[in-house]
Amino acid sequence: MIFQIENVLIFGTVQGSVLALLALGFSLVYGVGGVLNLGHGAFYLITCYVFYITSRVLFINLIISIILSLIIAISVGGVIYLALIKPLQGSHIGVVIVTFAFAVFMQEFVKVIAGIKPHYISPFIFGSIEFLGVTFPIQFIFVIIGSLILVSLIGLFISKTKIGKSIRAVSQDREAALLMGINADRILMITIMISALLAGMAAILYAPTSAITVDMGWGFLLSAFAVTVFGGMGSTSGCVLGAFIMGYAKTFCSVFISPTLATVFPLLVIVVMLLVRPQGLLGKKEV
Amino acid sequence: MGVILEVKNLTKKFGGLTAVNDFSFEIQRGEFIGLIGPNGAGKTTVFNLISGFEKPNAGSIRFDGMDITGLKPFQIVNLGLVRTFQLVRSFHYMSVLDNVSVACLSPRGKKAAEKVGIDQYASRILSEVGLIDKARFPPVILPHGDLRRLEIGKAAGTNPQILLLDEPFSGLSYEEQEHIHALIRRLSNEGVTIFITGHVLRELMNLVPRVIAMHQGKVITDGPPQEVANHKLVLEAYLGRGGVFA
Amino acid sequence: MPKKIRRKLSDAVSGSKNFFLGIPRATRNLYKEIPHQVKSFKEWIFTFRGSLTILCIIGTILIPLITMDDYITTILISFLIFSIFAASWDLLAGFTGQTSFGHSVFFGVGAYVAAAFVKMAGLPWFFSMIIGAVVAVLVGLIVGIPCLRLKGPYLALGTMAFSLILFNLFMSGELKDILGSTEGISGLPAMSEDLIITFLYILIIMIISFVILIIIIKSNIGTIFKAIRDDESAADASGINTTKYKLIAFMISGFFAGIAGSLFSLNSRAVNPSVFLALYSFYAIVMVALGGLATISGSVLGAFVYWVILNELFKPLGMWGTVFLFFPTLISAIILVIMIRFAEQGILKPALEHLREFYDFLLGR
Ligand SMILES: Nc1ncnc2c1ncn2[C@@H]1O[C@H](COP(=O)(O)OP(=O)(O)OP(=O)(O)O)[C@@H](O)[C@H]1O
Ligand SMILES: [Mg+2]
Repeated sequence: MIFQIENVLIFGTVQGSVLALLALGFSLVYGVGGVLNLGHGAFYLITCYVFYITSRVLFINLIISIILSLIIAISVGGVIYLALIKPLQGSHIGVVIVTFAFAVFMQEFVKVIAGIKPHYISPFIFGSIEFLGVTFPIQFIFVIIGSLILVSLIGLFISKTKIGKSIRAVSQDREAALLMGINADRILMITIMISALLAGMAAILYAPTSAITVDMGWGFLLSAFAVTVFGGMGSTSGCVLGAFIMGYAKTFCSVFISPTLATVFPLLVIVVMLLVRPQGLLGKKEV
Repeated sequence: MGVILEVKNLTKKFGGLTAVNDFSFEIQRGEFIGLIGPNGAGKTTVFNLISGFEKPNAGSIRFDGMDITGLKPFQIVNLGLVRTFQLVRSFHYMSVLDNVSVACLSPRGKKAAEKVGIDQYASRILSEVGLIDKARFPPVILPHGDLRRLEIGKAAGTNPQILLLDEPFSGLSYEEQEHIHALIRRLSNEGVTIFITGHVLRELMNLVPRVIAMHQGKVITDGPPQEVANHKLVLEAYLGRGGVFA
Repeated sequence: MPKKIRRKLSDAVSGSKNFFLGIPRATRNLYKEIPHQVKSFKEWIFTFRGSLTILCIIGTILIPLITMDDYITTILISFLIFSIFAASWDLLAGFTGQTSFGHSVFFGVGAYVAAAFVKMAGLPWFFSMIIGAVVAVLVGLIVGIPCLRLKGPYLALGTMAFSLILFNLFMSGELKDILGSTEGISGLPAMSEDLIITFLYILIIMIISFVILIIIIKSNIGTIFKAIRDDESAADASGINTTKYKLIAFMISGFFAGIAGSLFSLNSRAVNPSVFLALYSFYAIVMVALGGLATISGSVLGAFVYWVILNELFKPLGMWGTVFLFFPTLISAIILVIMIRFAEQGILKPALEHLREFYDFLLGR
């Protein structure tokens, strides 16, 4: 029993770290552009498979293949914005449908290239360590530390740099930001690219710990959405907090109750939160 | 006769801003009354509160002797209290006739339209507001003046006892204003109580016998337009805005 | 103020983001007078649309009868079933503005319930189908009530979450005893010995469904649906209980999606949890986007293009045809993006306009 609590602690932290990366980008995009990007999970998917192909099929150097995968994820983000989101920005549903179609497209595309079988990416360093009596792969340490660093970097970026401040300005009051001469379109594009980068990083860090499959984008998308809904749309701190709560709760469910419940847990959270507190845990109330 | 609408100590806060502050007034059945105030005075918010689109932080609203505070907008409409919007809101992809039909399909409208049938009733309203020859066009192509009339037509379709008109003259030419004037007078003559906002008194001067002036969410004064126009606080409120008659 | 910013601001003020699918850009048709409705059936047959419909129905009946090809009949059956499914989505999304991304919930529930009743209770297919649809309506209530408070993209994701909950539930095997686990239910009896007869049954059901759907959207209730879609709070201000009507829309839509789902499992004689996947909702969206949103009859064209034309015409194209056959979703995702991006009206309206010119020409007008 005690041992299991420690399990929850460690696996939950890992889950939370991954979710924080995914949800942060998703929520930033929502805050800045008011668009729900259903292609968010596809960023994760793409990075995984590019990483897999470069590192395991083409045997390119680890660092180079990581950089390559991230560059591809970011460029896909940019292209998605220019080709799909920008022309349809006036219509939220239009954006939702095309990004949905994009996600389906990516899934099928990956299926064509890599087949439907699960694949495996090797961790940065093989082996496992023991901590608090729980044995887990070393990769987990990369996940937790990497996520910690990235989340803090993003926090710094948003509060310190000019672009970061513009991002905040646009998400707080779009019209005022426009009047101050901020190019909101460009900011949204940058935000989407950042979100792709974060999802990509989540993939690089986390994917080596388990199999990659063509349909995994959906699970991550819905988890990101659940966290965002839970923490409040467009609220950065709420998002990180929500990610960890979700991570622990999910792991708790799968250890103590049932793994099925753990899979549907984010979905239940979405439904319940949307009903009870649509503005999220820390989010400001919408009209 | 008798009081049809009684608003008591109505208060609404948006964050730190008190948009409506301890607002009270009464309207008699059949009255024709105006509400003026400079931009941002809180007129629209008062209407939103009365019509149920927003929940007050404090205060009560009684309509026809019944407490309607906290009821949903459609419930209030079906009791006979109907409002129009400052920014016209039509159903863009439906014909003008159907726009009015929707109102006639509400329980209250249906009862009124029972004898003649929905289509007939809606057409009748359209001829009243002067849009019958445009009945089959979608509202997106109508000029602003026509949209204002449609807005009133939609409200009329629900067979209101009291009609809250939010700046029905804004953005209209003189002739179009005259049209709307005539339309509102007709409604008033038919016994509909009319409560109308404007941000300059000139628009309402010849129309209403009584005006409530508000500023920063509070009633400044209440009385015949002449008196209100010369009231010290009203002049102050409008100072720097080109005066009450601008 | 720079022009671009001003435009943005005015967009923000007029609230154009509330419109569905960016329709405002496709205002071409709006500048035309909305035609009078035709009242009697006899009158309708002789209108352009009426005669076209009759021709299409006759054509659909004749193709399998003439070719006697089981493969073609099977494809036509899929087309019929999915046209009902697409139309049910169109009623909810196109007419009522409730863009559900979890339409596969209704489809899947219909499919499972019908299959279960045929298999376990040995009920005739027709009754099972009706029960499947009724249960889908109940699920429509369960999904609808919580989702009613959601708008736009939230509704889309909320409903999608529902469909994935069901998928996981059915996958997990926790319902094994009644509804089978991962493999679902299989080995259902055929609807009829002869495929052509099955085809005719389904055709009749499809025609009835469309007639009912079209009657609904042309009735007062349809007017209210459209009002809710165009501006929900304005409908509220017109005294319409929007919650009630949205729920009605969910139920009607759920019923027909349930019919489609039931027919799907009855026809394929098996069902598995994948019917709950977002993929099936995606099918409906693609077909409606192809045919044209808020048209109902566009769904038929959309389904036809998707199942018959794309399936058949891509074959002779060799390699690329093969890609479609194996990865229809890939191609349809591209189609969906292109349609929404460049042809929001769908192909029904433009196609009808061209055909109509031809028709007038034939009649020497
Ligand atoms: N939903 C809201 N959230 C925050 N503040 C609001 C909201 N609605 C209104 N306000 C604020 O309340 C105040 C009163 O606004 P209101 O629209 O009622 O004024 P008004 O008298 O109708 O002005 P106008 O003549 O411009 O129509 C304004 O300062 C406005 O900014
Ligand atoms: Mg106002």
